[in-house]
Amino acid sequence: MAANPATESSLDLSWLDLYEDAASAEPGKKGLTLKEINLGRYADSARGAGDMTYRMRGAIPRPGAQRFGPNYQSKADVWSENCLMLYEEATQRQWSSARDIPWDTLEPLPDELERAMCQLATMLTEVEFIAGDVPGQWMPFVSAQDFEAGLFLMTQIMDEARHTDVFRKRALANGGGLLAQGAGLGLRTLIEARDFTEMSVLMHVQAEGFVQSMFRMGELIGQTEADKRIFRMSAQDESRHLAFGVMHLKYVLDTEPERREEIHHYLDKAEGDAAGGGSGDVTFPPVFEALCILLGGGVDKFDEGLQKFLLLRKRQINEYVHRLTVAGLGDRRERLGPLMAQFLDPA
Amino acid sequence: MSTGEALARAAQATQVEIPQEARDRARELGWEDGLIELALAKGHSLQVIWQALRAGVDGQRAKEFLQGGQTAIPRDLSWMEVPTEWGIRARPKDPAMGLTIADLMIGTYGDVPDVWTNRSEIARGSYPNPIVEDMGYTIFEKALVWADCCVPLYEEAIRDRWVSATDLNWNSLEPLPHDLERAVCQFMTEQSERAYFTGALWSGWLPEISYGFLELKLFLSTIIYDLARHSEAFRKRALSNGGGLGLQAPTDYSRVAKEARSFPELAAILFVQDSMLYTLFSHGDEFAQNELERDLYRFVARDRKRMMDYHIERMKHMLFKLPDRRDEQNLYLNKAESRMGKDWADPAVSEPLAILLGGGVANIEEGKRKLRDLRKLQVDSYLADLQKATFIRKHINGRLEQAIQA
Ligand SMILES: [Fe+2]
Ligand SMILES: [Fe+2]
Repeated sequence: MAANPATESSLDLSWLDLYEDAASAEPGKKGLTLKEINLGRYADSARGAGDMTYRMRGAIPRPGAQRFGPNYQSKADVWSENCLMLYEEATQRQWSSARDIPWDTLEPLPDELERAMCQLATMLTEVEFIAGDVPGQWMPFVSAQDFEAGLFLMTQIMDEARHTDVFRKRALANGGGLLAQGAGLGLRTLIEARDFTEMSVLMHVQAEGFVQSMFRMGELIGQTEADKRIFRMSAQDESRHLAFGVMHLKYVLDTEPERREEIHHYLDKAEGDAAGGGSGDVTFPPVFEALCILLGGGVDKFDEGLQKFLLLRKRQINEYVHRLTVAGLGDRRERLGPLMAQFLDPA
Repeated sequence: MSTGEALARAAQATQVEIPQEARDRARELGWEDGLIELALAKGHSLQVIWQALRAGVDGQRAKEFLQGGQTAIPRDLSWMEVPTEWGIRARPKDPAMGLTIADLMIGTYGDVPDVWTNRSEIARGSYPNPIVEDMGYTIFEKALVWADCCVPLYEEAIRDRWVSATDLNWNSLEPLPHDLERAVCQFMTEQSERAYFTGALWSGWLPEISYGFLELKLFLSTIIYDLARHSEAFRKRALSNGGGLGLQAPTDYSRVAKEARSFPELAAILFVQDSMLYTLFSHGDEFAQNELERDLYRFVARDRKRMMDYHIERMKHMLFKLPDRRDEQNLYLNKAESRMGKDWADPAVSEPLAILLGGGVANIEEGKRKLRDLRKLQVDSYLADLQKATFIRKHINGRLEQAIQA
């Protein structure tokens, strides 16, 4: 430093030379992503002990820093190995419910089909609302040592806002309106969770998994190009939320295998209690009937619709068990609640 | 064989377990003992029986149904006729913006009530189910949280989104003199932490706000997402040009925001920092050392402008609706200013900015002079923002006053 002594004496500069190494992350193929800056002592693998401040991982602790209340001190409590990638993917794949849905292609539908679509949209705009509150509730407990997990949750909050709004838009865009409130959708279990992993396995893996299996049948449920596109775009987002949850569960089971039985306990409750359909339950009568009408193509084809509904349920349950298996909880198939077990394919 | 038949056969073959919840529900509805077993034996799947139970089919109907040998399950379809407003066809007012949430503010769907009374997560405008659990929301009063501008700002935030990984020209970075690089990095360390903290803080308040104020929550979600991106963008800059993360941010101001006991207190406290940071970043050209930083500060200032628009309108709206709470705001603003003054006086906060404004340690006197001007401008703009919110702040906190002079 070529400062003259007179000016330097008026400065403290104690912050200026606290470290010697030079970080020079270079952008990769996808620009400068979190992966490129996950280097050296700044990397998640170099995470030291946390503290109860918001000091970002790798920043130098400030003597006298005040605590902000309890947060998770151990990485496994909130971490998912794919959260860096999922965060960047989320920023690249944001879409706009205002402009990316071909609203102008909506055509008037027969009344019963419009009502069924509006009922489904009413339930979804309700479910998606909770899906934003739940990660919000946990953000203050995610340590800044694991800030990428926090960043991911903040993209999820944005995604769920968009889902909440797109289904409201759908209900109000084609001559319909909102219909009956959902109830007994198993949403309370999500906000009741008292542990991050409990929340993640119930919301990311179970509830969003069920929603995802339904969105993936959007080609059959949707009656118009706009409907189908809503399901496709939303499914793209849900796959990130699910991927976070599956990999979080895997991280916990890999690093803290003693938590296995505890996690089963949460699932025992969620699968057995409430309506028995799990979190994000589609067996709530108005939703069930609306789905049968949409899948069948009309009230008079309700029974055909019912067969497809049972296929949807089957798909939901088998994909759910598959995701748990990927996470390392394959033994769940032996203890599924009866309303789910009935749909399970042989291993 | 249909899926339903297959399920039913599978059930018979494996002696299906009947969930306790189903038995309890059957008893409530007056189903005779053994009726579920009979239905299973007649080839109905557990799922179909469950749907009948959930639909509230009573014992008499269930029995007649089974004796009649019908295969279709009874339908209710009453949800088709609930008395909500029907026949809505929202259309984009501005084709360039597409179908916005502002376009949905029609008929009863656009009514944002002064007091929202439903304690569940019911979508505003849908038909309430009379028996639902309390979801635990605590904010039901429009005057505390609402600003009309959150409706258009939500869609503007989505339109104006940017991505730090690819919208900033990382390849353009050139090595800077040591003191300047370290000053940039210290500034980035502080701002990255402040953004992350504030994002986490807003997030934690989301579950408090009831569905009556849906559009506000949607808007806050964009704020949270903006803050996430600011946090990582600042970190990326610190780690990409030969520097690193410096000393963690001072905690006084953030702690007072964390200590807020109510939404209006939180908003009043954040008003102070958000106004100051908006002014700071909109003058980013004065302390940016290169094109990348100029672009970054411009993006951040654009996002922060929306945040400020919300703050000003919310406070104005609240003071209009709840005039007796006017003086109380001084308490929150005073606390926030005091802690901010403390943070500003910290060498790790003031010196990097002075070095960047002056162009190096060698020009520190020039830098300090410029920082004083900038601080004064921040405070004047803050007072002007309060004035726009119809709030006259007669005296700012003495500690903040001192920090400007330092
Ligand atoms: Fe969603
Ligand atoms: Fe989701």
